[in-house]
Amino acid sequence: MLLDTQCTDKKVATEVKMVGAGQGFERTRRITGYLVGTLERFNNAKRAEERERVKHGAA
Amino acid sequence: MAKQIVKRDGCSVLFDSSKILNAIAKANKAVGEEEITATGLLFVTEEVCRLLEARSLSNVEEIQDVVEEVLIRFGFSKTAKAYILYRAEHTKIRDAETYLMDIYKKLTWAPAKEEDIKRENANIDGDTAMGTMLRYGSEGSKFFIDNYVLPKDAAAGHANGDIHIHDKDFYMLTETCCQIDLIRLFKKGFSTGHGYLREPNSIESYAALACIALQANQNEMHGGQSIPNFDFAMAQGVNKTFRKEYVAAFACFLEVKNELDAAEAVARTEVLLQGLPYQPTLGNGEAFGQALLACHGETMRPLLAKTHLHATQKAIQATRRRTYQAMEAFIHNLNTMNSRAGAQVPFSSVNYGTDVSAEGRMVVENLLLATKAGLGNGETSIFPVQIFKVKAGVSFNPEDPNYDLFRLAMETSARRLFPNFSFLDAPFNAQYYREGDYNSEVAYMGCRTRVIGNVYDTERQVTCGRGNLSFTTVNLPRLGLEAKGNTAAFFTLLDERIDLVFRQLLHRFKVQGSKKVYNYPFLMGQGIWLDSEHLKWEDSIEEVLKHGTLTIGFIGLAEALYALLGKHHGQCEQAQALGLQIVQHLRRRADEKARETGLNFSLIATPAEGLSGRFVALDKQRYGTLEGITDKDYYTNSFHVPVSFSIAAFRKIQLEAPYHALTNAGHISYVELDGDASKNLEAFETIVRFMHAQGVGYGSINHPLDRDPVCGYIGVIDDCCPRCGRKEGEGVSEEALLQLKKQYHDVPM
Ligand SMILES: [Zn+2]
Repeated sequence: MLLDTQCTDKKVATEVKMVGAGQGFERTRRITGYLVGTLERFNNAKRAEERERVKHGAA
Repeated sequence: MAKQIVKRDGCSVLFDSSKILNAIAKANKAVGEEEITATGLLFVTEEVCRLLEARSLSNVEEIQDVVEEVLIRFGFSKTAKAYILYRAEHTKIRDAETYLMDIYKKLTWAPAKEEDIKRENANIDGDTAMGTMLRYGSEGSKFFIDNYVLPKDAAAGHANGDIHIHDKDFYMLTETCCQIDLIRLFKKGFSTGHGYLREPNSIESYAALACIALQANQNEMHGGQSIPNFDFAMAQGVNKTFRKEYVAAFACFLEVKNELDAAEAVARTEVLLQGLPYQPTLGNGEAFGQALLACHGETMRPLLAKTHLHATQKAIQATRRRTYQAMEAFIHNLNTMNSRAGAQVPFSSVNYGTDVSAEGRMVVENLLLATKAGLGNGETSIFPVQIFKVKAGVSFNPEDPNYDLFRLAMETSARRLFPNFSFLDAPFNAQYYREGDYNSEVAYMGCRTRVIGNVYDTERQVTCGRGNLSFTTVNLPRLGLEAKGNTAAFFTLLDERIDLVFRQLLHRFKVQGSKKVYNYPFLMGQGIWLDSEHLKWEDSIEEVLKHGTLTIGFIGLAEALYALLGKHHGQCEQAQALGLQIVQHLRRRADEKARETGLNFSLIATPAEGLSGRFVALDKQRYGTLEGITDKDYYTNSFHVPVSFSIAAFRKIQLEAPYHALTNAGHISYVELDGDASKNLEAFETIVRFMHAQGVGYGSINHPLDRDPVCGYIGVIDDCCPRCGRKEGEGVSEEALLQLKKQYHDVPM
């Protein structure tokens, strides 16, 4: 019995279907007034600008 | 005598003196005077060969040097000059080939993520066939413009980074952008050049045709396209839809109530609704009901009252549902439809918020709701850029008729980054405003362009049918560096640059004015551009183009101030004062030029996409890496306080607001908000209201907007998705996703 359960458990474990591996997160940002769905299409200068933005406290 | 000569590409060919003779003859012929006889030609050639032998020269360049030398020595100075020019032309063409081919190689073989040149415009996919084709055309065109079209000083100024001529590849072709009045366009139907479209008759077709108009115009201009009065325009579609829904519901009720067949019910409805003083609309339910009853006898009234009530309710429901779907489709279309040979979607903007009619309000409410809901899988839509018009008495204060829409706009923006907010009460916008006339309401085009004032035709200070013709930007940090801390020297240099830009803008205007209506079958042929409806197919467009703006822009005020004072305007009052003085000077010069020429010279806070990196790279080469100036990969946008500078939102707005009043061709200010803005609406509204109070013209709030495409979560994602727990690139078990699906409706599976 014991052996059997272990066996079944193992089987289930190997059958767990994983989704989304390799997929990144989408990061939408505004650049010169337009939104861009992914940072990859920014040119180098704008990528640097986006990286260096600091938040403005609203207090 | 050398038997072989070495060509530029390194390979050797047999020496042939007749080639030298021919080249000299050609140059001599080009001069037209100073004729060299056949014997003379032989004599000169012989002398060239003798010298080559004596000096044992065999390289093409050296041979050409000797030809020049001999021609000058023999007194054929004009021929020598022609020969030098001829040689220079050839060098240019050869350089062109190498230069262009290098670029073409990069465009062809390097992936966009490695090649900056392929990411010049973030909304064009540089890796696709049509994207690459566009870039081939663009690069070839730029080369042509630089070498054969531009005045030498402008070409040099652009190449060395003193100025930047925007959309230079379109120099010979078209204008930047236009604010399209759909109400005018739809009135009699229109043609896109690929077929005629009738006047639309439902909200669905209004929205669909709006997309088509944006698309058709985008293909004739190099900048974005804007609808300045979206709510007013779409309201007419809602109106038509409501009327049809009302009549249909009215008939339906009669059909059931009086046990008529469908055709009878329709005929009955027609008779009953005849002869009334007005049509049923979304907003006039009560009044229309009374008019209906008044029109018929006592016995009819109870039935009519019930029918009217039912028809009104049904029609409102159906119209709302259809308007939502139409707005949803509008957004979807603008994010997927092709322009420019399929390489990108049209750059579209829509302005709205001031139509207080029930129809206009329904449009805006549903556009906002659809925007908030997102695209098919909940993604944020990139287009259109949406601009909500904030106006006291209309939308700004809690007692205003559209205040509820303003609230919804903020809620939507806190979730989706759009809409942005335009402030019609800012004095420089309010001066044009006439109540109830959308044509007097300032609109902004996505990139921030603003067109309303009109020195060419002061009776027509309006938004519709006008746009920017072209704009060119001055590199302010370079001037700061050249002036070496001397403010007076800075202004002298600035004046020189301004003169150069004005000359160049006028040169371009001449090119643009040489075009005919048939070059713009939609923009001019369909009467979209102001006054173009009076033109014939073969007419020149020069006169009507004068409604457009010729614009000078600037970049890197912060770095320029740093170069002059060692501080930027976020850091010290003195720098802010000088910054304002600089921008005031630019504006004054533009105003003067406008008065002098009768053309709409104006000043823009340049939106700088590819440019911010180009200028700084050139200045780094020239001056090295200088702290606070060239030590980043970009120059700060227009008059903005540097993005990396720590400053409170309110202070930033206060410092930037006065520049809005000066930049009459466009401006925008951003605030970067931390965390999930949709959970902090109060802060969001406080900031927008502060912008209004400070006299900002156009502003928006940035906040992190991330999405996990696997579980559909939208919000801030740092390392790890707060909903499904995966890290970037990790997988999630299908079982876990199924569980999440039960909890959240937007899990895409
Ligand atoms: Zn997730």
